[in-house]
Amino acid sequence: MNPFLVRARRHVAFQLGAVLLLLFVGTALVSLVWTPHPYDELQMRAKLLPSSSTYFLGTDHLGRDVLSRLMVGARTSIAVGLIAVALGMSAGVALGAWAAARGSWVDEALSRASDLIFAFPAVLIAILITSVLGASAQNAVLAIALFNVPVFARVTRGAALTLWGRDFIRAATAMGRGPFGITLHHVLPNIVSVLIVQATIQFAVAILAEAGLSYLGLGAQPPLPSWGRMLRDAQTYIFQAPELAIWPGLAIASVVLGLNMLGDGLRDLLDPRLRLLRVG
Amino acid sequence: MIDFLTRRFAAALVTLALATVVVFTVVEVLPGDPALVMLGTDARPDTLAALRAQYGFDQPLPVRYGRWIAGLASFDLGASHAYGTPVGKLIGDRLMVTLPLGALALSWALLVAIPLGVFAAWKHGGPGDWGVMGFAQIGLSVPNFWFGIVLVLLFAVTWQVFPAGGFPGWQEPLNALHALILPALSLSLGEIAILTRVTRSAMLDTLREDYVRTARAKGLSESRVLFGHALRNALIPVATVAGLIAGFLIAGAVIIESVFRLPGAGQLVYDSINNRDLVVIKNVVILFTLLVLLVNLLVDLAYVLLDPRPRVSA
Repeated sequence: MNPFLVRARRHVAFQLGAVLLLLFVGTALVSLVWTPHPYDELQMRAKLLPSSSTYFLGTDHLGRDVLSRLMVGARTSIAVGLIAVALGMSAGVALGAWAAARGSWVDEALSRASDLIFAFPAVLIAILITSVLGASAQNAVLAIALFNVPVFARVTRGAALTLWGRDFIRAATAMGRGPFGITLHHVLPNIVSVLIVQATIQFAVAILAEAGLSYLGLGAQPPLPSWGRMLRDAQTYIFQAPELAIWPGLAIASVVLGLNMLGDGLRDLLDPRLRLLRVG
Repeated sequence: MIDFLTRRFAAALVTLALATVVVFTVVEVLPGDPALVMLGTDARPDTLAALRAQYGFDQPLPVRYGRWIAGLASFDLGASHAYGTPVGKLIGDRLMVTLPLGALALSWALLVAIPLGVFAAWKHGGPGDWGVMGFAQIGLSVPNFWFGIVLVLLFAVTWQVFPAGGFPGWQEPLNALHALILPALSLSLGEIAILTRVTRSAMLDTLREDYVRTARAKGLSESRVLFGHALRNALIPVATVAGLIAGFLIAGAVIIESVFRLPGAGQLVYDSINNRDLVVIKNVVILFTLLVLLVNLLVDLAYVLLDPRPRVSA
């Protein structure tokens, strides 16, 4: 069997994380074809109902089925998180690889720029952007993507710089390959595992950020359900229907927990230095 | 040492200068007409013109930027459009809530995280270590605003020992502190998780050092070895991360103050977005940036104090 799978089978946290993530993605996929009730069906006579066999997790203040909304909300979280991380990662990896390949002023300028973005708390960047462009899921994606750029740029630059000093890259340079070809054929393939681990963790961070933004009303707009928004609404009715404030939070926490465990597990499994440490 | 601090200070100033350019661009240049953003597209032309004249939006961009910087330097930030009060006073009043909240959260986080991290490193690989690390993993995954809502559910709705939100003001110091406890607890959750992890890994590094073996060999008690020798050296990375976290605390305050309806600077940012009060937004954001940079400078200073070896670059 593949040695990765052999080690993965012994890593409990990794497996637990993978199961939580699969559950999350599965729920989002199922919600595309089936939900117990239409997620936006208003039933004013059935509002704030407790759990029952008809409404498995009860109904919200507009009589909408909470479980259906949670399922569709998973879709929002995945879409926003995935697109934001993909955008931030593409730009960040490109910039980081460029800085490592060129060195000198490019490297210096990019490092200063990423320092600058890090000086702004991420939520503030998001708030600034959404305050000017308006609150929407797209602008939340843009804001989250923006603060992912320097994260990936730093990780890529650091990992790539160590490779640029290695013999096989010197050899490739000596054979006349340009910096672009070397980056594409030698540097990037060798840092893929670092990037995968980072992307997993950033996906978790992005889901938390999306939840926070939509809690503030700066993410996906109604009628599209999002977990953060559901918590905001639930808080208004916390004395009448306290359990409404439990489910969306539990959903966010378990997905983020799953991704964090998966990320940590992947680092253990993919990082060659850690593997050596275990052998030795 | 002085050289190192001077260089860090200069770098912070450059970052701050760049930050003002970015904020100015985002808030005043990108939207096209700031007056239109503030009043909405259905505003009458004469009201728009009056607002432009009032805030100088009819001046060329470099003049507007120059005026803003001059205002920042002399703490004359103009008047808030929504509140009608001077922005400087508005922000100052709000900081009286946010700064104590952040300080409370950070001290609580350090108080819990350092002993937990030391304990986990001491019991490395055992069930105690696993328990602490599991707790840290959960702390990193639970959104702090949801943790706040759960605390409200338990301590305000069910047991009614803490207020569900609001702030009585510092005229009643005990009640004010009482109102800040649940928010500070929620704000500190993620920070506890991060600081516990950092303390543990830093302790694991120092516990492998020769001087720790020497300390044990000469018969010092385990607590003297852990806290007197290993922890002192493990504190450097902890201080670094605590400084970085200060930025998260400020950003987290925006959400936590909204959860608990605290009249702090974070809530001011949130309200200003809803009020489209660009004058307040740009100044609060710069102030937050300044705070983050200041805390990081303090961390640099702490480096020098904790670690006597001279540092060349950061």
